[in-house]
Amino acid sequence: MAKLIMVVDDEDDIRNTVKTILEAQGYKVVTAINADDCLEKLKKNKPDLILMDIMMPGTPVREAVPKIKQKIAYLSVVRTSEAEKEELMKSKNIVDFIQKPFDVKELVKRVGKLTGK
Amino acid sequence: MKVNIKKELKENQTVLFIMPSQDYNRDVVKVVKSLKGNIGYVTLNKTFDSLKETFKKAKVKTENILFIDAISKTIKSVPDQTEGCYYVSSPGSLTEISIAIDRIIKHEFDYLIFDSLTNMLVYESKAPVAKFVSSLVNKIRGSKTKAVFYALDVKEQAALIEQSGMFVDKVIELK
Repeated sequence: MAKLIMVVDDEDDIRNTVKTILEAQGYKVVTAINADDCLEKLKKNKPDLILMDIMMPGTPVREAVPKIKQKIAYLSVVRTSEAEKEELMKSKNIVDFIQKPFDVKELVKRVGKLTGK
Repeated sequence: MKVNIKKELKENQTVLFIMPSQDYNRDVVKVVKSLKGNIGYVTLNKTFDSLKETFKKAKVKTENILFIDAISKTIKSVPDQTEGCYYVSSPGSLTEISIAIDRIIKHEFDYLIFDSLTNMLVYESKAPVAKFVSSLVNKIRGSKTKAVFYALDVKEQAALIEQSGMFVDKVIELK
């Protein structure tokens, strides 16, 4: 059965691009436009992995993450220090930190590893 | 980067640097290294801690820099102010950013670095950003502070760069 990925990003381009890339690799993909939309869609979807932009309008991601049980990989255009990155990764369901702009092959590889595909 | 930043800022009070994305991080360090005096540094894409780390690695002293960080509050819990940094809510909080910059100007800092217009556009549409730049440049004109705006050389934002270019004294492409 195809693995389900939820892509959460306020930028249309990123959502659509990542969706297209992952669907071409055989994943099912649902998208959400921010953390609030993600929480709402999680009521009906149980993704194997959530790819989530770290900084979006609406409820701050740091407040939404504790309400999520699924594995989350952060997508970040923001540059953080190493210590901040470690701090952000402390929640046990945060499994990766992917810096934007990302390499497509690298993204596919990391999603594959994180979902056990 | 072949531009003589000191000379450009001696001749112009406000400049807009258009930076190629591949050299961006290197250029940011070079600009700060070349400036002598008090600097107000507005960051919309890197956290205060991240910038301190970058400058430390590049052996750039930061004691003379007051940061305005519009990123950290969006990803972690921070106070409104610490030594060397004011934190504002987000890159889209134009009023908060403006108030923080007013302090830099009021205290007669030698330089203001705005990093960057490109990132502000992620959170605000073109019109408010252009208005913000226009208003900021006008404030600077009534002060002794010199301002450096950064923008990435991306064709999607060519219109804003062109518009902002009309407000500043000089647009310089760092190629």
